[in-house]
Amino acid sequence: MNITLNEEVLKDNNTAAAYNRDHFRNSGTLVINVMSSPGAGKTTLLEATVRELSNRYRIGVIEGDLATEMDADRIRAVGAQAVQINTHGGCHLDARMVAKTLPEFQMDELDLLFIENVGNLVCPSGYDLGQHHKIAVLSIPEGNDKIPKYPTMFMRTELVLLNKIDLLPYLDFSVEQALKDLEAIQPKSALMPISARTNEGMEQWYAWIDNAYRAMKEA
Amino acid sequence: MHELALMGDILNLVEKDAKQRGFDSVTGITLLVGILSNAMPDALGMAFDMYKAQRMTMLTEDAALEMLIEEARASCPHCQTTYTPTHRIAICPDCSLPGGQLTTGQSFQVKSYEGS
Repeated sequence: MNITLNEEVLKDNNTAAAYNRDHFRNSGTLVINVMSSPGAGKTTLLEATVRELSNRYRIGVIEGDLATEMDADRIRAVGAQAVQINTHGGCHLDARMVAKTLPEFQMDELDLLFIENVGNLVCPSGYDLGQHHKIAVLSIPEGNDKIPKYPTMFMRTELVLLNKIDLLPYLDFSVEQALKDLEAIQPKSALMPISARTNEGMEQWYAWIDNAYRAMKEA
Repeated sequence: MHELALMGDILNLVEKDAKQRGFDSVTGITLLVGILSNAMPDALGMAFDMYKAQRMTMLTEDAALEMLIEEARASCPHCQTTYTPTHRIAICPDCSLPGGQLTTGQSFQVKSYEGS
């Protein structure tokens, strides 16, 4: 017998994402899903962000990796609460994995929650985690071809932090070309050149967080 | 490469419905796969065969996976042209302005299945 279903393949994920979203709304926590390829500097970015913003926000971080507790340890070392998810081979975080970690946080006592996704420019972009914002980190050594080559990531994010700009003098990366490529894929996305290592440009990122936090509180 | 996990989700959806209807087996599944859905038809086919070989699901030995491919289409908010986006998704081929919105190509659904 032929049965018509017409169901989203990611239905279960989307149900869990809606559950997460309710949680975040109730606790008044701004949640940012940070995605990139491995080595783009997500953890270094979050370390710097925790150091800078801990005096005005209570911050938590969910770390997604195939294995080890290394990233969560780096975040704890700078003073924020971190929970590590090990995906054991899985190439992305899904909303159910995030939902399982929430009881480990005192959500009512968190203003900001960063979700550092598994390093991968493909799969993570397809999963709604219930976050307020999806952003991407792209680093100078990865080269100019990444934005056109991974359109689904850059089409589904609203901010690209262009990291490691301290390496611009040594590498053939064109910021101007990256701006053009991003506009051709997602005109609503912004490109923000930064160096999480030297702190260059980081004030724009902190201002972006302040604005997003204010917008969430006023909504 | 998360097609194995996606196929697990697909089989869960189908088996949940099939069990409610009192079916014992599933002989076919039809999917709608958008070319911008991040799911690769070849890899989905391989995942389907792996689940079949495991014999731990309701799939019969000769169960078939059919995939309807949804092409990407976009429309330009400036000149209302609709077009098939290539790699510069948001750039309208007619007026060359950015801002094109995808209308199709991101779907990923279980359309139907064959059960008994």
